[in-house]
Amino acid sequence: MLTSREIIETLKTKFDKQILKAEEKVSNQVFVAIVPDVLIPVICFLNQSFSPRFLINAGTDVVQQDGKYKASYIFSFDSEKIFLCIQVAVDSTDPNIDSITPIIAGANWSERETRDLVGINLRNHPDQRRLVLADDWPQGLHPLRKDFPYDYKPPPEPQNKVLLKKRPEGTKVIPIGPFYPVLEEPAYFKLFVDGETIVDCDYRGFYSHRGIEKIAESKLTYNQVCFIAERICGICGFIHSTCYCEAVERAAGIEAPLRARYIRTIMLELERVHSHLLWLGIAAHIIGFDTLLMQSWRIREPVMWLCEKISGNRKTYGMNLIGGVRRDIPAEIHDEIVRVIEKIERETVEVIDAVVGDTSLHARLKNVGILTEEVARSICTVGPTVRGSGISIDSRIDHPYAAYELVDFEVAVETGCDIWARALVRLKETIESIKIVKQCLLKMPDGSIMGEVMEEIPPGREAICCVEAPRGEAVHYVQTGPDNRPYRWKVRAPTYPNLQCVPYIIKGERIADVPIIIGSLDPCYSCTERMAVVDVKTGEEKIYTKEEVMKR
Amino acid sequence: MFISKLKQALICLKAGRVTLPYPYKPSPPPEGFRGKLKVDIDKCVGCAGCANVCPPGAIEVIDFDTGWRRMQFHLTRCISCGRCEEVCPEKAVTLTDQFELSTNTKEDLTVAIEVYMDTCQRCARCFKPQHPLDKMMVTGFRK
Ligand code: SF4
Ligand code: SF4
Repeated sequence: MLTSREIIETLKTKFDKQILKAEEKVSNQVFVAIVPDVLIPVICFLNQSFSPRFLINAGTDVVQQDGKYKASYIFSFDSEKIFLCIQVAVDSTDPNIDSITPIIAGANWSERETRDLVGINLRNHPDQRRLVLADDWPQGLHPLRKDFPYDYKPPPEPQNKVLLKKRPEGTKVIPIGPFYPVLEEPAYFKLFVDGETIVDCDYRGFYSHRGIEKIAESKLTYNQVCFIAERICGICGFIHSTCYCEAVERAAGIEAPLRARYIRTIMLELERVHSHLLWLGIAAHIIGFDTLLMQSWRIREPVMWLCEKISGNRKTYGMNLIGGVRRDIPAEIHDEIVRVIEKIERETVEVIDAVVGDTSLHARLKNVGILTEEVARSICTVGPTVRGSGISIDSRIDHPYAAYELVDFEVAVETGCDIWARALVRLKETIESIKIVKQCLLKMPDGSIMGEVMEEIPPGREAICCVEAPRGEAVHYVQTGPDNRPYRWKVRAPTYPNLQCVPYIIKGERIADVPIIIGSLDPCYSCTERMAVVDVKTGEEKIYTKEEVMKR
Repeated sequence: MFISKLKQALICLKAGRVTLPYPYKPSPPPEGFRGKLKVDIDKCVGCAGCANVCPPGAIEVIDFDTGWRRMQFHLTRCISCGRCEEVCPEKAVTLTDQFELSTNTKEDLTVAIEVYMDTCQRCARCFKPQHPLDKMMVTGFRK
């Protein structure tokens, strides 16, 4: 099996002097600095020889240190359990770089995000429109640059509106969104239809930015970020705080005690149970099967109460800090936890039994929203969405964190490639999660729950962490900074890659199926859209009326 | 199909009524719930440890002069994380089990206390952060 060392050696032999620095900064995490000219050859070479999976592209402003912007391309070698980070420093006076999207389609959004937020321009990128920034955000202002104050509100420039694709000849436009009743959060899909059939679509989203990364980098301390990280998502917040904490712990070389790691695992799995049951209800609701919505949410409610009892709140557990967790799960409530989750297991099995044979569901869900293995791989899709297409990627196995190395479970994989397959994956995972919680309760050793943090974290350290959220894999990249605070914190939520495959999976489908197809990805827009300081007044109309009012 | 529908109906029937009668009957949260915070003015020494760690910056520290400090707890911003309770050296802040915070006047949700500091603010001996990652930024408590 390939080791970190071999990756470094191979790259060094092939590219020699063009590799500026290559080291394994954290165990199984290789950071390779290369000269900008060989970016494309290196990526092509990697792709051909190992085909690692692309995760994210993180841009960092290091102008104060060495007058450069740094672009980090993070890859995962799944079966080898290795992260590879290719880093390119771009001169701040001429911040241009070759785009890797022509080679890796899944890098599309990630690269555009780096361009919008850090201002590294892309040569040969197929889509030069802005992605993250609002329609009226001034040209040339990049909020994640360090000289951009976190609380600055620039005057709007309405002329920068993003133009969506033109309607192809012979089609009509059907808008879905920006506010659409069944999709709980804002996103705009412009569908081009021929009769009932969808020919193509375009997407404009990122309406709910909250500038979380910016505020964390400019204001908060390591331990404060745990709480804002938890608020990235309203459903799977705990995975983000765990992911952030583990990334910082890896960077700083802090080890969380085993008991704390087990507690994290338990909370993560409880979160998965309630998230999957929530999804089941929403998906059923989208196709008008409200009985299932009511029942799956009824089954879910006791998990929420259980979490409230363990952590003090039903959703935002607030349990994680760097180095461990804040609350123990005392032995007295183990029995109750087992009782509650066993009841959920029984009831979920009953529900599965009652719905798998329901032919009206088959009619709506089978052979609809097909995501082929090929598309899934090229877009770098993650989570139940790809596991429904026969690809077994699961960061609990691929890049173990918390206590997952120490528990046994099966990764649910289905080969149907349709919505039904994705639903089955989630249902199976719910049952697996319950097994994991039970194992953890048995195996959990006594001991402290908070590791010893002896000193401040030195600047310049980097680390990556992946956590398998209910929707797929979340990736956090942390670079530590001076003054005992994070310098760069980059988050990629699972919906980010998943949403990019929507144009592929709705092509050729009927309009009525679009909501459930999008719903079958379990999209979570706020998580995806957490990274810029943005004013959400998007519509030209609104600004126009304002001007009009002013004139009068 | 028919059998599936029967099974589904059975699940619904078995479940019965599950809605809680809240708010007609109170629904107390479990022990350990993180609710509205309470400050004990007699215990607080004004060390600002809580303000330093508070993630959303819900605790405002206003210094009138070196010996007189006002601590304002803005519950509208508070996320009930309980970090203040955790670090307070005097156990002056506690989270209660109250969660019904709706009000027509926002000011109801600000708790202000004024503390005479004596030498505390200068000597910085009364408070030391337990965790090296909790950076002390409020004046008076840096070396
Ligand atoms: S509970 Fe948390 S948010 Fe509220 S005041 Fe205390 S530290 Fe701040
Ligand atoms: S930490 Fe406690 S003693 Fe110090 S200012 Fe806050 S409430 Fe007062």
